[in-house]
Amino acid sequence: MPAGRSIKPELWNEFFKGSRLACARLITKVENCPESIPEIRDKLIPLQKGAIRIGITGPPGVGKSTITAALARRALKAGHSVGVIAVDPSSPFTGGAFLGDRVRMQSLSGDQRIFIRSLASRDGQGGLSPSTPYAADILDAFGMDRIFIETVGVGQAELDVLTCADLILLVLQPGTGDIIQALKAGIFEVGDIFLVNKADLPGTECLLDSLRFLFEIRIRENKGSAPPILTASAIQDQGLDEVFAEMERQIHGLVQSGRYQERKRSRMEHEIKESILRNLWERFSRLTNAREEIQAISGRLLENRQSPYPYIRKTCAQIKMEFTNERSGCENGE
Amino acid sequence: MKTANENQEERQDQKARLRDADFSSISGRPLQPYYSREDLSDFDAETKLGAPGEYPYTRGIHPTMYRGRLWTMRQFAGMGTPSQTNQRYKFLLEKGQTGLSVAFDNPTLYGRDSDHPLAVGEVGKTGVAVDTTADMERLFHGIPLDKVSTSMTINAPAAWIFTMFLANAENQHIPFKGLRGTLQNDILKEYIAQKEWIFPPEPHLRLITDLMAFCADHVPQWNTISISGYHIREAGSTAAQELAFTLADGFTYVEHAIRAGLEIDDFAPRLSFFFNSHLDFFEEIAKLRAARRIWARRMKEKYHAKNPRSWLCRFHVQTAGCSLAAQQPEINVIRTALEALAGVLGGCQSLHTNSMDEALALPSEKAVEIALRTQQIIAFESGAANVMDPLGGSYYIEKLTDELEEEAEKYFHRIDELGGVVRAIEQGFCQREITRAAYEYQIALSRGRKVLVGVNRFVNEDEKLEIPVLEIDESVERDQVNDLHEIKQKRDNIAVGLRLKALEKAAAGTGNLIPHLLDCSRAYATEGEISDALIKVFGEYREQPFY
Amino acid sequence: MADPKIKVIIAKPGLDGHDRGVKVVARALVEAGMEVVYLGLQQTPQSIVQAAVEEDADVIGLSILSGSHMIHFKRVRELMNKSGLGDRLLTGGGIIPTKDQEKLKEMGIGRVFGPGEDIRDIVEYIKKTIQERRKAHHGF
Repeated sequence: MPAGRSIKPELWNEFFKGSRLACARLITKVENCPESIPEIRDKLIPLQKGAIRIGITGPPGVGKSTITAALARRALKAGHSVGVIAVDPSSPFTGGAFLGDRVRMQSLSGDQRIFIRSLASRDGQGGLSPSTPYAADILDAFGMDRIFIETVGVGQAELDVLTCADLILLVLQPGTGDIIQALKAGIFEVGDIFLVNKADLPGTECLLDSLRFLFEIRIRENKGSAPPILTASAIQDQGLDEVFAEMERQIHGLVQSGRYQERKRSRMEHEIKESILRNLWERFSRLTNAREEIQAISGRLLENRQSPYPYIRKTCAQIKMEFTNERSGCENGE
Repeated sequence: MKTANENQEERQDQKARLRDADFSSISGRPLQPYYSREDLSDFDAETKLGAPGEYPYTRGIHPTMYRGRLWTMRQFAGMGTPSQTNQRYKFLLEKGQTGLSVAFDNPTLYGRDSDHPLAVGEVGKTGVAVDTTADMERLFHGIPLDKVSTSMTINAPAAWIFTMFLANAENQHIPFKGLRGTLQNDILKEYIAQKEWIFPPEPHLRLITDLMAFCADHVPQWNTISISGYHIREAGSTAAQELAFTLADGFTYVEHAIRAGLEIDDFAPRLSFFFNSHLDFFEEIAKLRAARRIWARRMKEKYHAKNPRSWLCRFHVQTAGCSLAAQQPEINVIRTALEALAGVLGGCQSLHTNSMDEALALPSEKAVEIALRTQQIIAFESGAANVMDPLGGSYYIEKLTDELEEEAEKYFHRIDELGGVVRAIEQGFCQREITRAAYEYQIALSRGRKVLVGVNRFVNEDEKLEIPVLEIDESVERDQVNDLHEIKQKRDNIAVGLRLKALEKAAAGTGNLIPHLLDCSRAYATEGEISDALIKVFGEYREQPFY
Repeated sequence: MADPKIKVIIAKPGLDGHDRGVKVVARALVEAGMEVVYLGLQQTPQSIVQAAVEEDADVIGLSILSGSHMIHFKRVRELMNKSGLGDRLLTGGGIIPTKDQEKLKEMGIGRVFGPGEDIRDIVEYIKKTIQERRKAHHGF
């Protein structure tokens, strides 16, 4: 679909009629034309059925795809329709991407109640493609009620999963004890379930100890209770019933306690703020030829060893902001 | 003080400008302009060479080698229905071939019957279709199995294909003790390279050990396993990787059998190997010599085998299929000839030479004859068989042999660090090494740094590439499926049912499964029925692909 | 705006396990900036096309060495047409007899690549074909 043009009504019709290809093409649209996002959000939010988004993250090689496939299989068995979004990194040099997660889930692909889509991280900071949340929205409106989002899992980017997921499963494997140092403290704040996969390998006890120790500190500092730490061997299909049960238990708790709504609200708040910021920046850039100007200024300031703040203050002071019309009724989102 | 290499390079530069070419081996190994005594300054011929037939067997496994007996000229063959293949075998034996080698079709290799949904379009295409013992009867009809040795290239379902072979021998009143041959039966390289598996590794390893034990008692002349590097090389590995992964697989089988309680000297003499012979002439010869030395050392010093026959790395060689080109196919004959010569100079025990069109289709009779004649010219005209290990003592060859041994040891160390071959496979180590080597070679070809005559150099611009249609008619599948259904009706289905149940029960236990497989084969259970019975107990393997 | 990424499904239908070629081609396509969904071995025509639908793939590439190409290419093309992917490229490689290559073209299958072909040619072919197709659809 060409850039800038809105989505053809035929595509929407097909989508509403339940065409899988239309669903896939909408996701592609969101990948390639960020300008289409507002239209997609406009049309789909009313249709969203409250799918639960489960983020599965962790360092490379720990078995995330196998676990995603195993949980998806159980979700299908429990009567859910399942979406899977598998994100793999784009090469910063070539722009290409090897999307190899799906291959571990191919045995599921015959079932009509499952929709698997691979996304390349593209401009995302290595972890989550910018279109991932919208792909999840599309699958939600399409009728999937459990959406697994599997990310690359490379450090800071794992936190990006926050913006998208209702529940986060962090997967680790033994023998990589220093992984805990390497992961930013942030991920331990937001993980809801911790899973040590390949638990038949040596080093499992050691890793479990380190995790429990970390959480003890958290509890002592009154930062809530420790999240569940589970073990599994995905290749042998062991331990995953317990993971699934815990997952469902927490989903139930989320919805009952209102935390689910709160997280959604916070995400929407974030979306509004980011979109307005982006809009303002773009308008500002167009007004002032900002990119070139700022690029030139930065060069000069560095040469002369000067602070950028006088420039910043002056520029901001020159901006006059005014609402063009009366903003009555805005609290209702109009 | 300059190194020998630097001295040499200076001398070369002074003599002439160098050609704009890549002087490394096909595996990417940097090579010196020439080799001299300095390169072997600490070479101890006593411990590293010995004489042919003497530990560590670098120079050959027999004291007489080809003066005593030439290598077996064993051309791999199989196509269509068992009756068609039977005709090809009779043709080859007539032309002077001295051993049979069976190629099976894809469904058979994967443990499926010819009427399985996934078998559609593949029955009899790349080998012969075998579903039951009745097919073995047709395959070997009129061929004296006690006089001709038979090699069967099959892995995942090897154990029960073998018992069908045994059941047929029984019907022909040939005692098992008189049967000679080889079963490939090497599951580890399947996970690494060829990808023909059914179950996860452990059940396959058990079947392999069961077979070793059974044959030690009942089929003592049979080579129970042909530990293969050929396929690893075909998947794109370097020479060192082929050498290292093959021998590492061998060590794994030895350790597994020992853990299962077998006496090393009872099974080790019947282990055999299967290597590729690729384009880089000298690297291949050195690789084969290094293989013998490494295996002998390990078997003697690490595994404490006492019988000298346990120390022998006996191997079959096949010329490299992946080196053959579709362009100007006639010149493949030359490639094959050089590769075959390398195999002979490397001391192989048996040899398959590819036909010129073998990379594209099942070979025609003429092409197969030329391939066989290639071996005969080497054996009887070239003089290569007159003197054992003729390149031994060459500075280049000895240095190369040493280097390959060192590189292999490095890989062994790495694999040990990862926890052994099975663990290394689970983590994708071997697969990734191979994929990377394959890609690098492809890039080198693309850039013209490595040459394939007729493909990226000396191309015939007006060549019309003619890829022949496989002669396998659709009627082959139809006929084979009809025969299969007929057998299933004629046989005693109650007996089959009972024996399959007994097999399942035994599989869930720890006893030797071969007698049960033999029972099933005698009753004309099909290959697929046996696979399914075992899958119920062992589960099916799903690949975790690595790139 | 840069050209949208080209999305390619790479698969091996049937029983053959020789994947050296597919892996090399997959990597070459990634190096050329494409997004490659690698489906692996033992795929059925159904599973391949289902993936192509969900991934909204521009290209399906099959690798067939076992002689079963006519059956598999035909089936995949039929399923693609039925699923709304009639305008997407179906290509591939392996051992495909010259006579059959003509037949494949008539069935609406793109060029197929045999042994010894340069991987750069495969990359160029896919790029050019998709570019032309996009121009035809959108007029730019």
